[in-house]
Amino acid sequence: MLRESYLACERGILGALAMAVFLVAWEGLARGWWADLLQPALGTAANVLRIRPIFLASPSAIAEMAFQMYFVTGEIWPHLGLSAFEFVVGFLIAASIGIPLGLVAGRYRLLSYAVEPLLAALNATPQVALLPLVVLWMGTGLPARIFIIVLLMIVPILINSHAAVRTIDPKWLRLARSFSASEWRLFRTIVLPAAVPFLLAGVRLAIGRGMIGIVVGEIYGSAVGVGVMINQAGSTFQTTRVFVGILTIVVAGLVLSEVVRRIERRVEVWRPSTSADS
Amino acid sequence: MSAPMSMGLSKARPMPSVRLSERAQRQLVGAGTVVALLLLWEGVVASGLVDPLYISSPSRILRVAIDQFGSGAIWPDIRVSSIEFLVGYVAAILVGIPLGLMIGWSRRLNYLLGPFIDILNAVPRVTFLPLLILWFGIGMNSKFAVVFMGAVIPIVIATHAGVRANEARFIRVARSFSASEWKIMTAIILPGTVPFLFAGLKYGAGRALLGVVVGEIYASTAGVGHMIVEAGNLFDTDTVFFGVLLFMAAGVAVTTILNRIERHFDAWRPRGLAQ
Repeated sequence: MLRESYLACERGILGALAMAVFLVAWEGLARGWWADLLQPALGTAANVLRIRPIFLASPSAIAEMAFQMYFVTGEIWPHLGLSAFEFVVGFLIAASIGIPLGLVAGRYRLLSYAVEPLLAALNATPQVALLPLVVLWMGTGLPARIFIIVLLMIVPILINSHAAVRTIDPKWLRLARSFSASEWRLFRTIVLPAAVPFLLAGVRLAIGRGMIGIVVGEIYGSAVGVGVMINQAGSTFQTTRVFVGILTIVVAGLVLSEVVRRIERRVEVWRPSTSADS
Repeated sequence: MSAPMSMGLSKARPMPSVRLSERAQRQLVGAGTVVALLLLWEGVVASGLVDPLYISSPSRILRVAIDQFGSGAIWPDIRVSSIEFLVGYVAAILVGIPLGLMIGWSRRLNYLLGPFIDILNAVPRVTFLPLLILWFGIGMNSKFAVVFMGAVIPIVIATHAGVRANEARFIRVARSFSASEWKIMTAIILPGTVPFLFAGLKYGAGRALLGVVVGEIYASTAGVGHMIVEAGNLFDTDTVFFGVLLFMAAGVAVTTILNRIERHFDAWRPRGLAQ
């Protein structure tokens, strides 16, 4: 009985255990527990295990600082708000350009041939290398940050919406055609629904890249934003604040990927299973 | 696979009018678009519509490229960036593949390490750059670290997925012929993971390249990314574009090499299965 219930939640138990061991080990490094413990055995060599707070903040200090910044001073909220704003606006722009463009490019054969090499080149380039150019074009303010996020997010969205249309079974299109469906109707009832899983996969990739965009786009900024906060804290050796910023991005990333996973599962339920094996 | 097949079809059934094969059409239209865009770019600048300070132009970029390669001034930067990429990426492969195999093989190990991998996968690893620079300085070491972190996660996840996707049947057959664990690993598990593994390696290579670029933009003393930032500060748009092109070429080259190797390792697979 006990064994069964352990096996049922083995994943959770082992995961929590590993995490706890990791946090204790980390705390011990930052607080010099391990150095003190091994002092008798190793002598002064044990001091290697005592890491100065400038290099490593302890989990308890990070938690305390996070609590301060979120609920006492509230100073993180403006940073978080602006970064979230950049992310959302960047995503909306990338999606509203990328999806229609990709779908249309995939729908027409010659157009598809025309954009294929461009997409391949865009995909092979690390778009963040364009950052100095973006700064030259629009400075380091909000437009530049949103632009770099759009640049990063639009690539997987474009590629996936293009690929989505290219993989539609031509039989369906021919069938609809022979019942004289209009191009718009074809688009709405066949192309778009068939494209949805691909589009969502593209969105999932885009979200990851959008977060890169936030961090990278804020390298040059000097006012507000989570990335800016991390950079400023890093260059002033406030390691605890750096960790709070990273933690914020970790939580945001986990939440976002969970949201997309939920939506994907929903769509999969809705999607007729026959299409997979045809 | 589809292009050569349709070529065969069009040969078998002669068309009334002379039509280009699908493949030729694709290449022609693709190349035509690229040439047209380059000409448009050049034209817009040559006609004075847009200041080359903002968008440079193909001929100016070409001149910078000839200059840089001719004088050899670019090689030290290319060398630094390549070393950063190679060391970090190779280390990621050496750690990532065994780790992925291990967590694919042992359920418990997967439960233990899963949370860490999930967390690292949810964040862009470039977020850790300020810390890595604090720990390893602004030299190559911090780039090794960020490239490694960027590439290792997708490699682990893909290898893990590849092991999980193995046919349990094959393993049972091998077991019943009393194959050793090592034999099962090398003869069944590893070949079975190849498509997944290479997907991970390609994705990881992209992340590794991103690490090189961001790491060098963030803080560096040498490298192609460093060159781009310095050129940007001097409003030398031509050199910035040249640097971006170098990164693009690196991305294409790495993908091509990995595709080649994948085809070599995957040659035995029946076409129908690999798709």
